[in-house]
Amino acid sequence: MRIEYRLPSLGADMESATLTEWLKKPGERFTHGEPIVTVETTKGLIDVEAYEDGQIDDLVVAPGTKVAVGAVLAHLIVADSAPPAAPEASATAGSSATAASSATAASSASPAVTAPPSPATGHPRLSPAARRRAEELGLSAASLEQAGSASILHVADVERLAAAAPSSATAPPPPEPIDPRAAMRGAIGAAMARAKREIPHYYLGLDVDYGAARDWLARTNARVPVQERLIDAVLITKAVALAAARIDGFNGAFRDGRFEPARAVHAGVAIALRGGGLVAPALLDADRKDLPALMRDFSALVMRVRAGRMRSGEFSAATITVTSLGADGADVLYPIINPPQVAIVGAGAIREQPAVRDGQIAIRPILTLALAADHRVTDGRAGSRFLRAIADLLQRPDGL
Amino acid sequence: MEPTEIQAKLLELLTRIAPDIDPRSVVTDQDFRDQFDFDSMDGLHFAVAVSEAFGIPVADTDYGRLANLRSAVEFVQAGLSRKA
Repeated sequence: MRIEYRLPSLGADMESATLTEWLKKPGERFTHGEPIVTVETTKGLIDVEAYEDGQIDDLVVAPGTKVAVGAVLAHLIVADSAPPAAPEASATAGSSATAASSATAASSASPAVTAPPSPATGHPRLSPAARRRAEELGLSAASLEQAGSASILHVADVERLAAAAPSSATAPPPPEPIDPRAAMRGAIGAAMARAKREIPHYYLGLDVDYGAARDWLARTNARVPVQERLIDAVLITKAVALAAARIDGFNGAFRDGRFEPARAVHAGVAIALRGGGLVAPALLDADRKDLPALMRDFSALVMRVRAGRMRSGEFSAATITVTSLGADGADVLYPIINPPQVAIVGAGAIREQPAVRDGQIAIRPILTLALAADHRVTDGRAGSRFLRAIADLLQRPDGL
Repeated sequence: MEPTEIQAKLLELLTRIAPDIDPRSVVTDQDFRDQFDFDSMDGLHFAVAVSEAFGIPVADTDYGRLANLRSAVEFVQAGLSRKA
């Protein structure tokens, strides 16, 4: 069966992307979860994975082309019994591609993220800082290819190549320089405006005594080498994921006027990007992984985000999001829901403060959790139960 | 190992765990957290990289000593001299 392969929406803040590289050629086979094309979005480069086994029939869009979400990128040959290769496409408000992407969303298979990124295909992979420098120097991708593609190129490599490159290999500067920070800010703004316009948020806050979790983490980390240590964000994310699996109404998506609960808990984690902006890719099956496994996934995810090279499955999969401010952040973070999700938990900085414990005032480490949830799905009572469940789980970190 | 060698190696490690940092821009005595919005995961990645590259232990309580380039150089020097 010959089917259309469309650009998926990789998050509510994405309306278009620039196709940068085909990782497969016409006639080439691919398996479920294998990356077949790389696109550049405001978040960075994303390897878009196959949703089923198949073969490339023909390529429709050439590298360098900017395309809207839902646009046909290629035609694929897949087994007749397989559903159309439609990725989990969340409709993008105001995009001309909305109809196309949401029309195919119903038949989506859940995207796989198990396959590693494809090995080098002849194109160099640049670090984000190196990509900026290459653009400044007007170096084309072709002139960087001679460097080989075994590893990521850094700023120094780009400068060395620029110095060595004959002037003919130097491409003219791009005709339409786009400020990536402004583009990302614009994309975040559009997604958050949509969230605030369409989702009737309600907010709840709870101060959680983090002492048990902190002590457990210190004891655990003291026993293991640095490679196996855990961070607070992993404990908090696991507690949120477990609570989301147990309390109905917070894990899933709101689409076409109704709530679709998700069976698995894929916890989106907000990761701030240097230079501004943030992304919230998902930790898959966060409720079912033990803390060391979740930590490994989280660590690898942050590394991919820092390298500016992510995977499509991570962006379309999240069923709920957790966002932590870290040690030097504000006490409370009132988050905005990432559509089509229906809940997000914000964790403020863990700080020492007076608290009443056993009838006495004591100095305790306090973590303030703030929940933003969708009033079309739940109300404050359910939200309170959800927050209390997270707090209870954090009192027994052994059980996480 | 000379402090300049250690510093060069640390900059290389920094670029490896955070390829979005331009190593030329690093200010030696400003904390990475303030300079580059380092979060706890970045800090842990740096601690792992330092421990593995220099073969020295990094305790859970040592992360503060890896907060900026200058103190990280001192931490590595101290660690290497204990090892020797």
